[in-house]
Order: sequence, then C-alpha cells, then structure tokens
Amino acid sequence: MLSFMLKRIAQLIPVFIGATLLVYFLVFATPGNPIDALSGGKPMSDATRAALEAQYNLDKPFWVQYGLYLKNLVTFDLGTSFSGQEVSALLGRAFPVTARLAILALLIESVFGIIFGVIAGMRKGKWFDSTILVASLIVIAVPTFVLGFVLQFVVGVKLDLVKPTVSGAATWGELFLPALVLGLVSLAYVVRLTRTSVIENKSADFVRTATAKGLSRRRVITVHILRNSLIPVVTFLGADLGSLMGGAIVTEGIFNVPGVGHLLYQAIQKGETPTVVAVVGVLVIVFVVANLVVDMLYALLDPRIRYA
Amino acid sequence: MRYSHASKAVVLSAALALTLSACGGGSSDTASGDGDGSYVVTANTTEPQNGLLPANTNEVGGGRVMDLLFTGLVSYDAKGAPVNELAESIESKDSQNYTIKIKSGQTFSDGSPVTAASFVDAWNFGAAAKNAQLNSYFFESIKGYDKVSAEKSKEDKMEGLKVVDDTTFTVKLSQPESDFPLRLGYTAFMPLPEAAFKDPKAFGEKPVGNGPYKLTEWNHDVNLKMDINEKYDGPRKAANGGIDFKVYQSTDSAYSDLQSNNLDVLDQIPPGQLASYQDDLGENSVNSPYAGNATITIPSYLDHFKEDEEGKLRRAAISKAIDRQLIIDKVYQGGKSIAKDFTAPVLEGYSDDLPGSDVLEFNGDEAKKLWAEADKISKWDADKEFSVGYNVDGAGNKEFVEAVVNQLKNNLGIKATAQSFSSFKELRAKVTTYDMSGSFRTGWQADYPSLYNFLGPLFGTDAGSNDGKYSSKEFDEKLSEGLAATDPAEGAKIFNESQEILFKDMPVIPLWYQAVQGGWSTNVSNVEFGWNGVPIYNEITGK
Amino acid sequence: MPENQNFNPEDGLQISTPRAGKVSKYKIEHFVAPLEETPLQAVDSVKETGKPLSMWAEAWRSLRKQPLFIISAILILAVIVVAAFPHLFTSIDPNGQNACQLENSNEPGRPGHFMGFNLQGCDVYARVIYGTRASLLVGVFTTLIVVIVGGALGALAGFYGGWIDAILARLGDIFFALPLILGAIIVMQLPAFREHRSVWTVIVTLAIFGWPQLARITRGAVIEARDADYVKASRALGLSRFKSLVKHVLPNSLAPIIVVATVNLGVYIVAEATLSFLGVGLPGEVMSWGNDISLAQQQLRSNPMMLMWPALFLSVTVLSFIMLGDAVRDALDPKARKGA
Repeated sequence: MLSFMLKRIAQLIPVFIGATLLVYFLVFATPGNPIDALSGGKPMSDATRAALEAQYNLDKPFWVQYGLYLKNLVTFDLGTSFSGQEVSALLGRAFPVTARLAILALLIESVFGIIFGVIAGMRKGKWFDSTILVASLIVIAVPTFVLGFVLQFVVGVKLDLVKPTVSGAATWGELFLPALVLGLVSLAYVVRLTRTSVIENKSADFVRTATAKGLSRRRVITVHILRNSLIPVVTFLGADLGSLMGGAIVTEGIFNVPGVGHLLYQAIQKGETPTVVAVVGVLVIVFVVANLVVDMLYALLDPRIRYA
Repeated sequence: MRYSHASKAVVLSAALALTLSACGGGSSDTASGDGDGSYVVTANTTEPQNGLLPANTNEVGGGRVMDLLFTGLVSYDAKGAPVNELAESIESKDSQNYTIKIKSGQTFSDGSPVTAASFVDAWNFGAAAKNAQLNSYFFESIKGYDKVSAEKSKEDKMEGLKVVDDTTFTVKLSQPESDFPLRLGYTAFMPLPEAAFKDPKAFGEKPVGNGPYKLTEWNHDVNLKMDINEKYDGPRKAANGGIDFKVYQSTDSAYSDLQSNNLDVLDQIPPGQLASYQDDLGENSVNSPYAGNATITIPSYLDHFKEDEEGKLRRAAISKAIDRQLIIDKVYQGGKSIAKDFTAPVLEGYSDDLPGSDVLEFNGDEAKKLWAEADKISKWDADKEFSVGYNVDGAGNKEFVEAVVNQLKNNLGIKATAQSFSSFKELRAKVTTYDMSGSFRTGWQADYPSLYNFLGPLFGTDAGSNDGKYSSKEFDEKLSEGLAATDPAEGAKIFNESQEILFKDMPVIPLWYQAVQGGWSTNVSNVEFGWNGVPIYNEITGK
Repeated sequence: MPENQNFNPEDGLQISTPRAGKVSKYKIEHFVAPLEETPLQAVDSVKETGKPLSMWAEAWRSLRKQPLFIISAILILAVIVVAAFPHLFTSIDPNGQNACQLENSNEPGRPGHFMGFNLQGCDVYARVIYGTRASLLVGVFTTLIVVIVGGALGALAGFYGGWIDAILARLGDIFFALPLILGAIIVMQLPAFREHRSVWTVIVTLAIFGWPQLARITRGAVIEARDADYVKASRALGLSRFKSLVKHVLPNSLAPIIVVATVNLGVYIVAEATLSFLGVGLPGEVMSWGNDISLAQQQLRSNPMMLMWPALFLSVTVLSFIMLGDAVRDALDPKARKGA
C-alpha cells in the first residue's frame, strides 16, 4: 500500500511539469498582448512598452520564458503579477478561502446527496423520488448565476438572514450559502448516482442474504446496500473537489468571495501567465491527491479491490 | 486617456476597469455639515491594478484612491472647473512657458515638506523610460520628454522643468498648449515625497500622500482603509471619519450589499437592476451625467468606408439609421443621453447644436436614401455583412451592440452582425494593429475636463488612440490653432469648429453621453457625483 | 499502481497471442453456470425454447414494453422534429429583417406572440423553437463523444491498471485542472475554429474538457466490476481479457455511466451558454436555449418569463433523456428486470 502511494506521489512530478507547460503555452498562445490590457487601450510610449515586456520576459521566445519560469520555481519563486505582487502571496490569500468553500460544498453535496439518493432509490417511483427528479431538473436547467442571484436576493436581501456577501475573513458560516449554490449541480449528480446504485444493489444476493439473516432494515441499508453503492459516488466526489475549486468563478463573483476562481479569471483575461500557471499547478496537485484518496477508498469499500 | 469599460456583471467582474477617475474635487465644504462627521463610510471599488504611484495608476480602482490620497496643483470641482489646491498661481504669456508658484508650508502626511522639487522630481520620474510608468505619455508636451522617454534612455530629467526656489518652478512645453493648466489635476501630475524614489515598489504598497485622506490598511482583494489626513488643509477637507473601500468582483454583489445596508455608497448600478433601482432605493439614488461618451468606430481602412464620397455617405447613413433614444430607453432604462457632438456635455465650451450635428438624428428613410446613393458609386453586395465588434467582458456591451445591429438590419435592409471578442485585450490587439474586419465599439472618458481631450488623442493624424486611422489635414490644422489660442474660451470655440469637419467625415458614430447611476445606503447623506462620475467621497457624512 | 492480485499479470500480455484468440472463439453461452444449483435460477435461466438471446436483444425486448421508455422516446422524437423543422412551428424567422423591433422590448405575451418579447424585442417563442437545434446538437453530440472517448479510456485504465492506468489517469488530471475558459478561448482561436465557428466547434471544445469526468466514472465502475465472480468465471472459461472486458465488465458498469451522461446532457446545453457569454461560443446569429437563459439573467427582475421558457424546454428535454437512461438501465439489469 505504501509503495502504491509513493508511486502515485512520484507521478505528480511529470504531471505537474506537463500541466504547467501546457498552461504556460495556452496563455502564451492567447490572442492579444498583455501589455495592451495593462495600458487599457491608452497610448503608451514605445520605451514603456519595451521596459514592461522585458520586465515580464514577454519579449523572449516561448521556451526561454518557460525555462526561466521553471528555474525560478525550483527556488519556490512563483513570479510576480502585473500588479507587482508575489504570486505566492496572491495564492496564499485566495487558496485557503476557496478550499474552505469547496470542502463545504463537497460536504453539502455528499451528505444531502447520499441521503436523498438512498431514500429515492429505496422508494423508487414514489413521490419523494419524483420530487427529487424535478428538483434535479431545475438545478440542471437553471444556471448557477441565476440560482445564486435568487438565493442571495431572497435570503440575504429580502429576509435579511445573512449578509449578502462574504467578508474578507470568509468564515465557514459566511461561506455556507455560497457553498450551497456551488454544490447544487453536483448534488444532482450525487443524488442520481446514489439512487441508481441503490436500486441496483437492493435486489442483490448479499442484500437478500442479509435480510434473510434477520438483520434490521437500517443495518441492511447502511452497511450492505450503501457501502456497496458508494463506489460511483466516491469516484464522482473525488473528481468534483478539484472542479469545485477551479470552477467557482461564478459563485465567487455573486457572493464576492476573494478566492481562486476570481484570481484565475482575472489572470486569464489579463494574460498574466505566472498566476494562471500557479493556480492550475495547485489544482493539478489537488486532482492527483483526490484521485489517490478515491482509489484508497475503493479498497476500503470493496474488499475485492486491492492494490499491490 | 481612456476607454470606458465598465466592470462586468456576475461572471465577469471587470478584468480591467479602464475608466479612470481624475480628481473628484468638491466645493469647499468643511466638516461643518449637520451629519455625523466621525462616521466611516464604506464604498465600492475594484482592486487597484498596480502599486499606488501617481504616474502608474490608470484605472478606476486605483484612481479613486489616488485622488483622496494626493492633492496636486489644482483639483476639479463638481462641474469640472479647476480650483487651485497647492498652486498659488499658474502663469503664462504664450501658452508655452509656464511659471508655477505653490503654497508654502504644505507637508505630506509623514511630515516631509511639499516643495517645487516634489513636483519636478515626480514628473521626471513618471516620464523616464527606465521607470516604465503607464501614464508617462501625459508628460509628452513637456520639452525634453522625447529624450527621457526614448527606449533604453538613462536620462531622467526633462529640460523643460526647472526648480527656481522652494515654492516656484517653471515648465517649458515643446509647443504652445492652452489647456495645459487644465490637465494638472490629473493623477499623473501629483507630487511625491523623496521617500518614493528610493524604493518605488515599497512606496506603491504603502503610499504617503498629501491629500485629504491617508491609506492605513490595504488588504489585497478585500479592502482599502483610508483615515483622515490631519495635515491636509485645502478645499477638499473630509466631512466624515474615513473611507473603507471594499473590493467587489461584480456590481451585482455590491448592489445586494447596498440594499441590505452592508455598503454605503455604490457608484454603478448593475445593468440588471436599472429598471428597478429607483424603486429599491428611492431618494437614495442618482442619475448624473459625466464626461464620457460611447461611439462606434468604422475604420477608414475598410472597403466602402474609405475617406471618400462613398465612405462619407455610408457613415452618415449608419449614423441616421440608429434610433439612439429608443436604445437608451429600452436597453439603458433612460440612463444615458443622446450624443450631439464628439465630446461630452459637462465640459467648458460644449455646445449641443453645432452646425452639421443633424447627421446624428435618427431618420430611417433618409438613411436608406443615403445608403442607396452610396450604392450608386460602388455597390454593397447583398450578402456582405456589416459587423460591430465588442468585448464581452464589459457590462452591457452585448446588449447595446445587438440593439444597434438590429436597427441597422431593419432600417438599412443590410446584413449586420454583432461580433464578440472574449476580452478587451483581444479586441484591442486587433484594433491597434489595424486588423479589424468591421466596425467596433469605442468610448472615451475624460482624463481632464477639456474638449481637446476628446479630439486630439482620438482624431489627430497618427494620434495615440486614433483607432480608425482617420486623417484630415484640415482637422489637424484646426487643432493646432485651438491649442495655440491664449484664451481657453477662444480655444474651445476653435475646437468646436474642428468638430464641424468631423460631422462631415464621421470617423466614428457618436451614440450617447455617459451618465452614472449610483446609490447609497440609509446610513449616509450628502452623496454627490463629480464631473467624471466618481462620488465626491470627502463630502459624504454619516446620519 | 493498481494491479490485480488475482490475476497473473502476465495474463494481460497474452491478449495478442494466437492461443488466447483461438480459445476465445468457443461459444461459451451454455457454460454460464449450473443453473439448477443457483438460487437465482429465475433470473439467470436461459430460455430453453428458441434461440438464446443476446443480452442486448433481451434488454430491447423488455425495454419496448416499458411505459417510461415509450413516453421518453415520444418526447425525444418531438424535440428532434422541432430541431429539424423549426419553420413548421413558427412563421417568424428570428434572424430575418424586422424580426426584432426594439419597440417591443420586454413586452408581455399577446396573441401571435404568446411567450412575449425579450430585451431586443425579438419573439421569445420563435427564438426558443429555433434554439432547439443548436441546443440539442450540443447536448447530444457532446455527450456521445464524451461517453465514447471517456468511456473507452476509463475502461482501459480501470481494467488493465498498471502503466496504462497511470498514463490515462494522469492525462485526465491535467485536462481536469485546465480551466474551461482558458482552454475554450484558445481552442476557439485555432484558425480552423475561428473561421468556422459553429455548433460543432462548441461540441468539440466541450468534449475536450468533458471526457476526463466520464473516464473517471467508468474507471471506477470497471475497477468495481473487474474482480466480480462472473468475470473470473469468464476468464477461467478461456475468454480473452479484452473480450471479458467488453462482454462482461462493461455491461455491468453501465449504470453510473448512463446516470452521469444523462445529467451531463443538460449541463452541456447550459455550458454552451457560458462559452457564448465569454464570447467564444456560438456565432451571434445562431440561437440556443443556453444563450437565451444567460441573456435572461439581466432581466430577471423585470421579465422573469424570459428565463422560464427556454429553461422549461431545456428541462423537458433533459427529463426525457434521464427517463430514457433509467429505462435502459433497468432493461440491462437482470435483477431489476425481475423485480419489475
């Protein structure tokens, strides 16, 4: 098991280099010159332009730029943004906030998703199942920015239960509403995945055996059906953690959460390569580690699955 | 000089808010109002894009902070008229050689004195190529700028600037420019203490200024806290206990905060709320015009739109095919006013009935007629599309461009499309390399209140922001004539004459003048917006 | 690296050897199990009369009798007809001259225009009808590509494990971490895409960034199924690894794939709106539900119906695909079939 984990972690190195190279190239290839964004379409003297291009290595060919980036990376220098701030500082501020938001969203979608999914699956075709189906459709068809806006307006402005936006501290409590909005679409996936698995497993041999043995219904559901139904759900959740972190742009915008999504979006619009690469680099690590955890959970959920 | 580029709703919080504030100077109110003078006002902003150095701040987020942090030779009052701040006098006999006297005994908030050298050194710093300051071109009129701004130049002193004594310095321009004193309230012309030049980067993080406020805290992407600067003694004395600028990613979230009294002052109502903000906020809202406009530029390098008879006819036809008032009513809920010239109404010398301005009036039949006349010269292929480009990261761009395109379709009977660009950066890259395949949206917001600021940089031959590659000898001559006038009023008259040439050539299609829709919470009163659309923060009081 | 303990790793290498191929040619259906001895006889029993049906034929048989399937099939058919012949359902061409009159901006419904008008004064009903084609194409084809590509790669990674898994899974990680916006902006800038921006460019873009998710799901499901007794049995009977993957593992892993794919269908239709919102989606004159939904956001407070109509059409379409998916899944699952 340990060697399995070590091998996985070793894989991080080529993945990290591959991802950063790819992203560096993508930002390099985006149309438009970052200096144009910086000048805001206003006149700029050639000298200023040249000095800025030199400062951010924009005047160099792609491989030189990337090489310089890697060289700095070895000394843990992630570069500076166009605003002159250390990218590591930007990331250090934004990442914990987004991590809290994503973890909270993941908790909401897994807890509610699994509970609703089990009930819907056990009572397939009954009213609860149908209600959940309609609710899922709404969540899928109405985009996050609309749902988020409506929730913010109702809960934050009309009912005045919470502040409509998140403060700089971005505490767990403040992040609950944004996390709910962020996790809603994924919640629909989790409910449907759990429901289907439960339906599949509830007539399986081991369930009949368990029931025949006289185990209580609760025990049959939680230990026998649920445990055997979780693999697709866990797979989905593992992949979703990273998506929640990188894809919170809309939600962060609505609730003014100073997180990674906003940072990433702005950096892409400005063509600020070091920031984009750093964010994506962190996301790759999150994905690889989450994937590793998921694989560990497979073995835990299904004893037949083992890793050498 | 800047393009209006408002921050984007929801998904797209402005990547680049390119509007820039100049001095939001107010009348000489002191803290004598009947409100609570110790109340700390919260206001919306965007994260300043650069360190807070005067010559490096070219967008609205940093601009509004700089205005409160620094004070220059002049500031502008609510109507945009210059008011002397640190200047005792600005004198010139020939509009080319200026002698500037400053008030004595002024200090920065750290106690260091403000002298003539504080200005001269700051301007030299801003202009020098080696410092790569974004606003360096503001100093281009000063003699010696070409030397310090040359690529790889080590030179950092312009020969046009001379310190005479502690409170006097002289400025020599490379040509007469009558509106030079008007520019001096702009952020780029602020003085700097000596400490700034030793470590500009560190100074940009913790700037020390001489304005009505000082910056006490800057939590990046979260807020900027400004406290009263006790050492400030000028016309813009604070009537409140400080300003807490909260950084917002979108105006939608700021609006929600405003409605629940979580934010005191909002300087931009999100497009989705324009229909209802007056109901929501009642008396705590305002719709006030500011010095900016929106235009569509049709580059002269496009086929059928060259600077010839056909091009002029087609440009006039397009201008007349757009029902500006209807778009303002339906898309902007009345929040703009139709353009009647190429500048903006709050400026000194503005006129709304210049000869030739009837080309801006909507008349579908005449538009068709003009288009048909142009067709006689050279046929417009029925399958050819006329496109209007816009960047999606600016709020409301898509809506108005689509409305214009539909009107062109309906009123001219041609194929017209809206062409989207994913970012301002991408659009500008095509525009500045003169590689557009159609027309595109443009806009201008004044850096300083002067007609020339709307004409010279945009339509002068080879001028910095002449996106359509317009060139007219006649127009260029009028501009120089206007600049050389010794009397600003005389200058304004000549600039207006130059606009008559523009009405014939229509290098751009003026659409409307900008107005700001703002609101404030029930915690504050005395909120007014200045000539440039920025709230006059220092006059706001608590209730 | 995940490596299956129960198999000699060298087995995998034999796929291409002639011996394994030869063995696999034997018909194996009648070797399934000693049916009389299993309690699941009712489920697994092979009908003695007539030719044994393949799993798929069996599924189809039970499927076509299901009301869930019939309803969803009719709905999907209806949507396809609207997509193919929009002009049969409305006389207004939303791109035509005078189709949008700003005077009608945000007007409520009236005879002839029962859904009312949008901000630009265009008829909402005509836009929804004409938007069906792009939305359906984006939803269905993106889902198909993602299922085929993601499913194949995920199945290979999960079943074979080892370095195949390492490479495919890490590739997935890289694609996962790439922000859709950045990728989409770049992909849409490729000359081939830039010149011919259309529904297909949107589909390809969404598919490029969508496949890792389905690959993950498939991989998980395959890992779960690959060690099951029936797979071991099929191997013991001499079926090659690849064939046992295709014939036994995959059909038993379909449930989560179907669930995710049907939900994805709706999510892709909405995601198209995000691309259009970012200026790299469909060209302006192509209508889509997603696009109209995202435009409606600005009018949410003054004209909420503008959001409701396209969202309703989208919901019904997604609903019919979800029902279809449920029906197919039920039909493929012998346990569920018996219970039904």
